[in-house]
Amino acid sequence: MTDDMLRAPAEVKYAEELDWLESIDDGPKPFSWRLSPRMVRLFVLGSERSDGLDREIPPKWFGDRSFVERSIVTLASDRGLLLIGDPGTGKSWLAELLSAAICRNSTLVVQGTAGTTEDHIKYSWNVSMVIAKGQSRESMIPSPIMTAMEQGVIGRFEELTRSTSDVQDALISILSEKYVSIPELDQDNIVFAKPGFSVIATANSRDRGVNDLSSALKRRFNFVRIPVVTSKRSEAEIVRFRTTELMRRHSIELEVPPTLLDILLQSFADLRAAAASATSDDEKLESALSTAEQIGVLEDAILHSRFFGDSTLRAETLASSLVGSLARRSPEDLAILNKFWHGVVEPRSKDEGGSWPEFLEGGRQALSTLS
Amino acid sequence: MSDATGTPTGTATNSATGIAASGPPRARPPAPTDAAAGSAGETVAGGGAFGPLRGQLLAAAEVFADGPSALPGILSGLVDDVDRALRERLEIFPVCHHSPASALAMAARLRDKQPKVVYLELCEDLRPLLEELRNCRLPVALQAFASEIDGFPPSWAPLSVVAPITEASAEYQCIAYALETPGVELVLVDRSTDHVFQWEPREPEPAEGHPGGEDEAGKEAAPHGEAGDEAALHGDAVGIEIGDLRPGFAELEEHLLHHGKVRHWSEWWDQYVEQPLIGAGYDTYRQVMVLIGSLFRRLRPGRRGLAVDEDRERYMWTRIREHLAATGADPSTCLYVCGAFHAASAVEQFGLDGDAPPFEISPRTGTRWLYGLIPSSHSAIEAQFGLASGSVSIAAATWAKALKHGGVTPYRLKGQNGARKERKRAHAPAPKVADRLSEFLATPPAPGDVDEGELLGWCVDIVRLARRNGYLASTADAIAVFETSVLLARLRGRRRPTPYDFQDAAVTCIEKDVVPGRRDVRRLCEILLGGDRIGQVGYESLPPLARNVLDRLEPLGLDLSKRTIQRALLDLDARPELVPCSRLLWILRRLLPDDAVRPIMGSRRLGERSIQESWDLAIGRNQRSLIELGYEGVTVEQVLEQRLRRAVWDEHATAAVALDAVEQSILYLGGRRLTDELGARAVELLSAERTVDGAPEVLRRVRRLLAHYRATEPALPRWCEAFVTTGYAHYCTLLPTAFVDEETGVRQVAAMLGFLFGMESLALSLGCDHAQLELAVRQSHPEAPAKVALLWAASSQLGLLSVADLRSRCDDLLANPLVVPSFPLYLSGFVQALEPVPALASFVVEVISKAFARLPDPVLLPWLPRLITTLREHAAELVPALVREAGRTFPATLAAVDAWTPPWSERPVPAPGPAAAVAAGPVTGLLAAHPATYDAVADLLGYDRSAPPGAGTPGPYALFAAHPETAEAVAALLGGGVS
Repeated sequence: MTDDMLRAPAEVKYAEELDWLESIDDGPKPFSWRLSPRMVRLFVLGSERSDGLDREIPPKWFGDRSFVERSIVTLASDRGLLLIGDPGTGKSWLAELLSAAICRNSTLVVQGTAGTTEDHIKYSWNVSMVIAKGQSRESMIPSPIMTAMEQGVIGRFEELTRSTSDVQDALISILSEKYVSIPELDQDNIVFAKPGFSVIATANSRDRGVNDLSSALKRRFNFVRIPVVTSKRSEAEIVRFRTTELMRRHSIELEVPPTLLDILLQSFADLRAAAASATSDDEKLESALSTAEQIGVLEDAILHSRFFGDSTLRAETLASSLVGSLARRSPEDLAILNKFWHGVVEPRSKDEGGSWPEFLEGGRQALSTLS
Repeated sequence: MSDATGTPTGTATNSATGIAASGPPRARPPAPTDAAAGSAGETVAGGGAFGPLRGQLLAAAEVFADGPSALPGILSGLVDDVDRALRERLEIFPVCHHSPASALAMAARLRDKQPKVVYLELCEDLRPLLEELRNCRLPVALQAFASEIDGFPPSWAPLSVVAPITEASAEYQCIAYALETPGVELVLVDRSTDHVFQWEPREPEPAEGHPGGEDEAGKEAAPHGEAGDEAALHGDAVGIEIGDLRPGFAELEEHLLHHGKVRHWSEWWDQYVEQPLIGAGYDTYRQVMVLIGSLFRRLRPGRRGLAVDEDRERYMWTRIREHLAATGADPSTCLYVCGAFHAASAVEQFGLDGDAPPFEISPRTGTRWLYGLIPSSHSAIEAQFGLASGSVSIAAATWAKALKHGGVTPYRLKGQNGARKERKRAHAPAPKVADRLSEFLATPPAPGDVDEGELLGWCVDIVRLARRNGYLASTADAIAVFETSVLLARLRGRRRPTPYDFQDAAVTCIEKDVVPGRRDVRRLCEILLGGDRIGQVGYESLPPLARNVLDRLEPLGLDLSKRTIQRALLDLDARPELVPCSRLLWILRRLLPDDAVRPIMGSRRLGERSIQESWDLAIGRNQRSLIELGYEGVTVEQVLEQRLRRAVWDEHATAAVALDAVEQSILYLGGRRLTDELGARAVELLSAERTVDGAPEVLRRVRRLLAHYRATEPALPRWCEAFVTTGYAHYCTLLPTAFVDEETGVRQVAAMLGFLFGMESLALSLGCDHAQLELAVRQSHPEAPAKVALLWAASSQLGLLSVADLRSRCDDLLANPLVVPSFPLYLSGFVQALEPVPALASFVVEVISKAFARLPDPVLLPWLPRLITTLREHAAELVPALVREAGRTFPATLAAVDAWTPPWSERPVPAPGPAAAVAAGPVTGLLAAHPATYDAVADLLGYDRSAPPGAGTPGPYALFAAHPETAEAVAALLGGGVS
């Protein structure tokens, strides 16, 4: 089944693993959860020898254990879960994994945008059916959230803060009363949420101030802030994990040399340090320099090497991919990258050698092409 | 570990010590009830009961030991260690620092056993301090301090060692018991503080990554966030703790934390050792502690840091044996309290029955140690010993709770809060060695033991606290926090929500996207769970100096023991009795850290006196600094005097430093004796100086002092005169060298000239010779343009060069295109000359104006910033003169500028006729109108009124020429020949 999909949702991709976990799970499960909270944690964070399982469960999300624990217990409680953090910190991935583990359905998603309306959260009507048969439950199109309520599963709301305040506030009654009334209908006009229903929303902390959440909505959510990964070790792990997955998806067999991974991580760490010490927005890159961007850069370089190169990942390709991904504004970003290349990469290539000189050269060429 | 089993409760068993955390829970053996029921002694000795434990240890040992071959050694060693410690005739009480379980077990054991002698692992020389604990509010730290060191590298000074004592600690129970129970002797047996440093490696080595094995963390207290002040309470002292128990290396700790699913060491300890041990029997407690001590000891790779620990153990056992031999005490009535790590020791001196020779204790060095108590705080202890923030507070809360529920009556020192009467009890026999370990490790703790009332209380309180700090928290949040805490604890496999679970739950439910106030929810939880507690040293235990300060500040009417900043208002005119307070505050201002005593209004400088003063006092918060000041002397005056003396006798002291000391002594101490001594030293230092780097400072200070003495004393002190004459001669001597020396700046030379010209009249009156200065100037041949300009200025002051010459030289420079680029350097020299030769101000203005007018931009513009920075730097001396002169020279209004021609570019008016020489004015007018008097005087003097005015030599000379008799008589009288 996964072969037919470009990107299978977590419950499909890890179906076999989830089945197995469910078969051995003898812990108490809240509501209609398919796994107990401990098994959910195990599924997300992976198993260890001390868990004493017969097979190894690989970790799927890398980060502090307490974030996952706090998220799980929030879902077992009365409140919705709001994952907040910089772009690329793995919020949506965590939300997907949690939904998949808890209810085997991570696809009931509402994407918050400026054009999201209340209909997307509650329900809308199939106009032709309404004309033909009148308003009834049949001619009603339930939103993913309403479907989640009916099924007693987790509904997801991506980028909550991108939608306007009135739309956001439609969630208030859903989260507190746990039902949606349909005034257009005379009977069967209330959809009650079944046990197990909850909402995982994600919000981008960079969007703060665009559409701030109302206090009423805030108190119906528990906030779990996912920080940018700063530990080099776990970041390397994440990048390796995700890249392997992406390469598998593209059926690419290509080895990522550890030295190049180090160069990538080091460059991002340097750029982050530079961004942290910048005093104005013009002095920092527009990019959030998240782990996801690193993965993007690496993926870009891998694809380039595969289809336009000799199937070997080279430092030049990585450098041009990095420049291409990060240079979004001209001339600001280009100037910052130029400064970075000459102020940081150049001394490093002199001091450390290895693949750094190639990386330096590749970056220079990419910069000169762009500017 | 237990999530695999999926059972929410009751699976913490295997992790009771956490050591088993790495073992597979599914492979957990059944509870060895049969084995435990057997003969305990045999079981322990044979290690049979430890079979299951052996299996669990296997995983951890495999990962960390050198290889499989090390395993049998480790495992049998563990059993041996426990067995040896428990079989020892002298009862060993293993403790862990900041462990309420230790404290509870200690209190209970002391009540049962009522030992006559208690041996405690604490530096032996700190013993006298313990009596003083009665006057203090805990936590406080025992401190040993040495500033005069002998036998250690000088760079180590000052040496400082602190041993914090908290109420929730086993050592405090033990101290309180021993001091409060008559007939009980408390013997400190650990090495002295002197040995702490004696045993330090001499080479500067990077500190070990972990304080683990050694009790001295030596970590600098890292102030963090809001608690920064409190965290820095210990300063940079070396910390000593009783019973430091942590894995000796980071890998094991990381492993334990990872598998224990906890975030930091304190949480691990609390969950896996502390909670299960609270309420456990004494035997169980003892065996578990020794086992853990032994495990950490044996899993330490190599012998990292172990040598010092073993030496300490030898030291302690040697001291114990010595004491027993000297007093003949019965070992069965004694108790030896030491860290669990040391209880599992295998040194040859261990035990009373060993026949190993006593450890040779090296003599102390000649370092003079001073002892005192300083206030401490939970956060200071956490910072010093690398514990997680809030962990000591949580330990204190656990202790308080255990006291309430456990029925154990703790010992307290009388004079402290809540002291109670003690009851006498019969002696309890020494405990029989029985294996409680297996049973303890295998029995699950009572499940579902949620202390609902306590958790509810926390939930309600945190919401209230959050609301007070700007959060929109409500009762609904309290409910959510409660629910989340329980869920989290269950998810983490805990019997009941720990404070850490509660903290996480509160953050989850209350913290939103922004923190509205100063404190976030995590910090609020720390405050709620006990907060930081800050100790205070009572008045009676303060050193004499601190008591003296508090006594003398009493007229202010403030409670200086408070930790808040207090404002003191001193109306010195209305209340003259406050003048001594003001004086003392100024001294404290100099001696204590900046924020301790801060003047808001009022100043103390030579020649100034405040009518009113206003001070911000934070003496209570800086108690440690005040106490450490007490190590230096008996009164602040004495300390200041010593410091001033030390400053001027320092090998790097300069004349400027000595003059500063003189000024301080006048300002703060007032006595003539010290001032004269310091002044004499200043003269000595000045004459010995070979550079003139300090000349500007010397000039500034000596001027101020001279002004002070002229205003207040009938005559200058002898040292002052000596300073001026010595300075005159000294600077005259150094002047030619300073002029040519490249390293000596223009400012320094200008200051020398300033001294020479400014003090000249005084110096000449004291017997100096003007010719010396003139010669010195003549001998100077500078090459640097700035110094050349200075020399010209000096020559003009001495009359060796007229202003007209000076002007023409400058014009020549400006006219010479080859020199123009360096002209700004000359200008810099002239600007500096303003100080020694103030009369040249108008000329300097003229030169600057000419430069602005005539210098090409490429030369002028780069120099302008330098002119501005020079003027800015020395604004006080240079700017007023320059501005005053410029104001006099330039027109005041815009309109006048057009018509204005600079005075120096006016053509010199040809010499007017003699009549013009007579200045017009009222006197001349009067004389012209009434010439009779003036004619009469002229006649009387024999002046020839018929001679035309202006002809011949001017008046007086004509008079002498006409009547040479007087002059000849005077010449004869003076002995000179008349030519």
